[in-house]
Order: sequence, then structure tokens, then C-alpha cells
Amino acid sequence: MDQQRQITVLQASAITISTIVGVGVLSLPLAAVRAADAGAPLVTLLGAALSILASMLIVWLGMRFPNESYIEYSEKLIGKGLARTIIIIWILYFAILSSLIAREFGEVVITAVLRNTPLEVTVIVMLLLAAFTSRKNIMTFAYIHTFYIPFILVPVLLIVALSLKNADVVNVLPLWGNEPSGIVKGFFMLSTMFQGYFIMMMVIPSMRSPKKAMRSIWLAMLITSILYVLVVSATVSVFGAEETKKLLWPTLELAKDTSLPANILERLDAVFLAVWVTAVYTSLFSCYYFTIYSIGKLFRLQDHGMLSFFILPFLFLLAMLPQSLVQLNEINALITQFGVALTIAYPGLLLLVSLLRKKRGNQKQ
Amino acid sequence: MSYSKWMGSQKSDNNHAATDANQNQEQERPITSSLRETTDSIRKLLGDNDDFNTHEFHVFGQFQAMMYYFTDMTDHTIINNTILKPLKYGPRHIDVEDIPISQLKDTLINDTLYHSEGYAESSLSIITDSILRGQTVIAIEGLPEAFIFDTRKISHRSIEQPATEQVIRGSREGFIESLSTNISLLRYRMQTTDFRVKSMEIGARTKSKVAICFMEGVTNPGIVEEVKKRLSAIEIDAILDSGYLEQFIEDNHWSPFPQIQYTERPDKVVANILEGRVAILVDGSPLALIVPTVFSQFYQTAEDYTERFLLMSGIRLSRLVALVFSLVFPSLYVAIISFNPELIPTEFAVAVAGGRAGVPFPAVVEVLVIEISMEVLREATIRLPQQVGGALSIVGVLVIGQAAVAAGFASPITVVIIALTTIGSFATPAYNAALALRILRFPLIILAGTFGLYGVMVGLILVTNHLLSLRSFGVPYLSPFVPGNFQGMRDLLTRAPLWKMRNRPSFLYTLDQSRLGDTKKDQVNHASEDIISPVQPDGEKGQ
Repeated sequence: MDQQRQITVLQASAITISTIVGVGVLSLPLAAVRAADAGAPLVTLLGAALSILASMLIVWLGMRFPNESYIEYSEKLIGKGLARTIIIIWILYFAILSSLIAREFGEVVITAVLRNTPLEVTVIVMLLLAAFTSRKNIMTFAYIHTFYIPFILVPVLLIVALSLKNADVVNVLPLWGNEPSGIVKGFFMLSTMFQGYFIMMMVIPSMRSPKKAMRSIWLAMLITSILYVLVVSATVSVFGAEETKKLLWPTLELAKDTSLPANILERLDAVFLAVWVTAVYTSLFSCYYFTIYSIGKLFRLQDHGMLSFFILPFLFLLAMLPQSLVQLNEINALITQFGVALTIAYPGLLLLVSLLRKKRGNQKQ
Repeated sequence: MSYSKWMGSQKSDNNHAATDANQNQEQERPITSSLRETTDSIRKLLGDNDDFNTHEFHVFGQFQAMMYYFTDMTDHTIINNTILKPLKYGPRHIDVEDIPISQLKDTLINDTLYHSEGYAESSLSIITDSILRGQTVIAIEGLPEAFIFDTRKISHRSIEQPATEQVIRGSREGFIESLSTNISLLRYRMQTTDFRVKSMEIGARTKSKVAICFMEGVTNPGIVEEVKKRLSAIEIDAILDSGYLEQFIEDNHWSPFPQIQYTERPDKVVANILEGRVAILVDGSPLALIVPTVFSQFYQTAEDYTERFLLMSGIRLSRLVALVFSLVFPSLYVAIISFNPELIPTEFAVAVAGGRAGVPFPAVVEVLVIEISMEVLREATIRLPQQVGGALSIVGVLVIGQAAVAAGFASPITVVIIALTTIGSFATPAYNAALALRILRFPLIILAGTFGLYGVMVGLILVTNHLLSLRSFGVPYLSPFVPGNFQGMRDLLTRAPLWKMRNRPSFLYTLDQSRLGDTKKDQVNHASEDIISPVQPDGEKGQ
């Protein structure tokens, strides 16, 4: 199993970044302006801060048990029965999250790109892609995320940079927006956008030196926060807060307005979407893999590859359940907020128990 | 037990490799002292061959002896001068009249024979093997061992520049079919005590000699062990080319991408051995295999290192662009034309639309038809002799393409795109990698025609994930890009100067890391003045 313990600090950061940056990039500015008007960048920053704290919680917990999967140490800390119940809820949450990602992806594609394709086809293609790749081992998982990172980060930064020629600073002033009260209500919602850090729970047992896991999560959250704040600032400064509230996917509209210098290519949204596919694929892949990994560890299976096709029909059915885009967004908001609470509360509980009972895992490499 | 046996099938297990029918029984039998018995057993094993000769003569005028050889494989000059002549005359400093039979063998080997590589052998199987390899065997009445001499002489072609790997600057030698010549080409380039050559025989009927070459103290022993293990496991009746070996020892047989590199150039083999890889050569094949292989090797050539780094970095980048182009260009064209024409700048879009006006098919079908005809044309030009083939390729691309446009079932831009793609695939130095990308183009075109840019992305993601999960002898296929390794990236997209590439590639885990000495300043930085001066050597200014 030594071969399976080779994930470096940089690879762990890459995994986290590509899990976080996904389908949420498109609707991120909308959530931000709904919460705080022109104070959207600020509320994004606050949401990022909260999620950084939550992620540090998870990583600290993981570092105390560097050689065990989170299922094993949960059972050790709070007993088998309670741990298993909570973990089943946990697994259900991530399965639903995967199906929500696939569904939102399908909605964007059939609305913006392939107008005549049925929704089922786009959803099933994306789920199949994730299912096929989930059969591989964790080193391939790390390689895939490491490979796609530049292809995700560079285009987003490029779009942000190119759009600034239409930007107007007035749109992002005042910094705390015209309704500061919204910030307090809204930043929890924003922190759901950064939810991908849960993947560190799976990555830490396979890292080459788990002691450095904190470094990788700081790097990852720093990069993601800066990226998201930039995206929100660019969108709001180009469109203004009121107009952004009317756009369903503001980042996509931002890409539509952008063109390469000297008009080499116009209407870059098609290109942006093509690249965004990789971002969604990596996040969906992470969620899918995490779900299968958890089920495998829960039932003490040796190899979780066969589960990947087993859960595919369930996820597909879950993805097709919301009846419309509106319902999808409502469900999304609810579930992700519940999820953030879960991912803060449960590791927090485990950490507390671990500190109180002074239990640590076997620290040997 | 196997399913067929359980069903009561009469066929026996097909697991035995084909072996010489006769050899099995005679395997360990030694020859006897009787000359007639020896001759009979050898004749029985070899069968009735008109090119097999036996020559009877007397050693020192007294002992009856027989010489066995294949006339067409042996060098008669060596036989006559170094074997027959001394045997018939005897050494001058020894009195050959009364040599007892027990001392005969020592006298012959130590004092008489002029041939430098003779030895005595008693096993019949080894004797017949040697005769089959072109060696000469001499059996003497009364001696229980026969003498074997290496007299092999087979005509070979001369050493010339390899046809598939031509360079402007670099050596013009290429491997030929003879294994010993190939190894000599390697040895003279690496005149160090650490260079090792280990040989084995693979192939039950061809008994081809396979040599494994590596550098002791540099190559990781794990790789050498794995190579030996995989080669020893092969049980087949014939190894006709190194390609047969490749198909047995590669990691993933279903992947379109090659996991083993092959080359005809000795300097490339030497460079790879010095980086920590292992080379495999087969007798009868001019292509050497190099393991482990990573993807970045497929767009590097030997010329990259012999020329200066700035220029060759640019050329290497252009090769990489050509490689990526040959994969995605047609599918991008189909996706943009069919699904996202708004991406094309307006003035150009008008021209494209005009060209496509009369074409009856959708873009996908048109591109597929032209691609397939291009592949057929390519195959055809390989089979044709030089004079006809050259003309056909120009005719094929330009004239037929133009005719297709004029006839109205292709648009001019399609022909341009396909032609650029094909030329791009020729820019890839490795033929096997170019093949992989050629084949992968077609599913991408179909995906592009079905799902547009989204389909192209899905196809590219599938291809990339496959590349990321591939390994060649334990080394991840996309090293040093993934897993990221900054030291290895000096040789990835561009080539760093030779004095900056201090260490061997880290993904090969070599035993000896550094290539260069420590004093960099003197190696590279040279003062340009004060070398020649207009002042006379003894200090006086010229008149």
C-alpha cells in the first residue's frame, strides 16, 4: 500500500481547488448580490473566511489520525452505532450533492449550448464520465486533479482580466453595500460555495506527509477565495448589482461580453463553457469518488470500483427529481446549507471528543 | 480446471509453447567417443539438408576426425586457415607422433589450434545448436567431447542512416539486423566499465538472441529485474522483430498509446541508457526497445540535444503544437461550424459559409469522408516504390482535394484543415505515437458532430484520463508533468541548456543523480577578449 501514499502537498491543494471550483462558479455572483447588493465582494470574502475556519477544523481532525480513514476514527471516537448512523446521513448528503451538480450542469448545457438535447442525455453523459473514472485508484485521482488545475484556473482568470475593460468601480461601491444587514444573513449562504474542502478527509490518509496537510489546505483556500472574490468583483463591476440580480448565471454573461483583443474570437462563452466542463467534471468526480469511497470503507470492502456503476442509476433518478430550474435552485440552497452545517458540526464534534478523550491515531508513517 | 476440459473437450491444454520435436528427448544426452555414432545422431537431429556438410580428415595424420558445418553460414577462410591447417600439420614445437589420446584434447586447445574462440563440449543439444548458428564442430574418434569454433559469417547490409529518423546534425549510423554489430555500435560510444549487456534466448523455434543493455550504478535495479522477469515469461515459437517483444512486455495492451519506445539510432539508445533506462535489442531486428517510456519522449528527437538550446526549444514547441493539432483540429472545426458559428469572426465566417454553400453533407460527414480517404491515400503511398509514391502524395493532397472541391462535395476550408492535420501528424517523430493520435481523431470528430464543443471536451477528458492512469514499467505515463516535478520540467516543453540539466530524470529513480561536475563557471563562461591580440607575442606592436 506504499504506492498508494504518495500524494504531495501541492497535489492535495490541487485536489481541493478543483473540487471547490465547479458548477457554483456560474451562479456565485447571483448569490452574492442577493445577499449584499454592491457589497458582494465583501460578503464573498466573509463566506470564504468561514469556510477557511471550517476546513481547518476538518484538516486538524484528519491530522490527528493520519493513518485511518474518517470512518474508522469516527467509530473509534463516538462508538459504532452513532458513527454509522451519522455516516449514512453523510453519504446520502454527498450522493445528493453529486446528483445536484450533475443536474445543474445539465441545465446550463441545454439552456446555453445544446438547445435541442434532452436534459437526460447531458446528465447521464456527465454521470457516466464520473463513474468510469471512479474505478481507478487514488493516485490516478490525484493525477487527474493535478493535471486539470491549470486548465481550470487560467481561463477563469483570463475572463476576469479581459472583462475589466468594461468595468466601472462605482458599481462595487460602497464596499459594504447599501444594505449591510444582508451581509450577516448572507455570508453563511456564500460559504456553501466553498464546500469542496470535505475532500481533504479522504486525501489525508493517502498523503506522503500528513503533517503538512494544513499547508495544503491554506494554499487551496487562499487561491479559491481570491479567485471567487475576483470573479464576483469583476461581474458586479461590469454589470452592476441590480442587473446581476436579474441574471441567472452572471459569470456566463460575463464571458459573453468578453472578446479577445483585436477581435480574434468573439462571444467567448462557448469557449468558457467548454473549459467549465472540466471544472464541473473534476468536482463531480470528487463527490462521486468520495461517496463510493465512504460506502466502501463503511462496509469494509477491498475495492470500491464495482460500486461506481451500482450507484449510478440512483444518482440519475435523484438528479431528475427536481421539476424545474426554480425548484432545483431552491433545493440546492436548502441542501447545501444543511450540508455546510453538517460538515462543520460533525467534524467539530469529533474533534472535540478527540481532544477531550485525548485520543489520537497511530502516528507512524 | 479449464472450462473446456470440464465440458469434456478432447483438445489438450494449449499452454505448451511449440518446441522442436526432436530436441525434447535428446536434451541432456552427451556424445560418445565413437565417431560414427556422433555423426549418426547429428545427422538424425538435423535431418536431410543439402547445405549441411561433413568433412572427414586426419588430425596430425593419425586420428580420424569429422567436421560438421553448414556451408552457407560459415566463413571458409577461417575454417581453412585457423582450424584445418593447424590440425593437419600440428604444432612445430611438439612431437606429434606419440601423443596419447588422453592428452590430445589439451594439446589441441592449448598448443595447436589457431582459432581464438574454440572450446570443448559434450552435450549433443548444444552441439547441434552451435551448428545451427553457423559454428563449426569437430569430433575426433576416441574423444568424448567435440570442439566448437565460432565461424559464423552472414552477409549484412551496411550501416546507413535510418530511414525513419533522419537528422541534420547528429550521427548517421543506424542499427542493422546483426545483434553483435549493434552491440558494438553501443559499446564504442560507452567505453566505461559500468555498461552491462545481458543476453537471453527467446523463441522456441527461432531461438533469437535478446540482449538487455543498461548502466550499472545508474539504472535502478528494480527496472532491470522487471525487464528480465517479463522477458523470461515469454513462451512463443518465434520472435521475428522487437515489436513481438513489445507486445508481450507492455503494461496495457488495450491502450492506443505506446508504452515502449523504439529507435534505430545508437546515439538515442546511449542517451537513454545514460538517463537510467534499459535498452532491449533483438537479433534480426534493427529496432531497439527502450523502457520505461513517458509521453514526453515521443516529441523529442536526438537533434534537440545536438543543436543549441534556444532554437531547439522553439522547434520542440512547434512539434508539440503540431501533435496537439493533429488530434483536435478537425473536431474543433466540426464543432464550431456545426454548433457555434458565432465564434468565428464575421468576415471570415462569410468566406467559410460561401465555401460550404454547395456541399450537400453536414460538416461531420464531409470531414469524415475526407479523413478516411486521406488515411487510405497514406496507406497506398507507403506501399508504392519511391518514384511513383512521391508523385502520388502531392497529387493526392492537392489535385484530388481541388477536384473534390470543384466537384462540389467538399469545401475548400475542409481540405485545408485536413491537409494541415495530416502534415501535423508527420511532425511527430515517433510513428507509434502519431498512429495513436491519428486513430483517436475519429471518435473525437464523431463526438464533435454529435455534441459540439461539449463533445470535444468530453472526448478530450476521456483521452486525458486514460493517459493519466497509464504506467510504463511503474513510471506514470505523463511524468514529469504529473506528478509535478519541477526539475524534470527542464526537458519537457523546452530544452534547458546542457549545463543546467544537472540531474538525471527523477521519475526513473536512478542510483546516481548528477550528470555534471561542480565547477560551472569554467565550463560555460568564457571571456571573449584577451584571447588573440594584435600585439606581437613578444610584446612589440606590429609594424
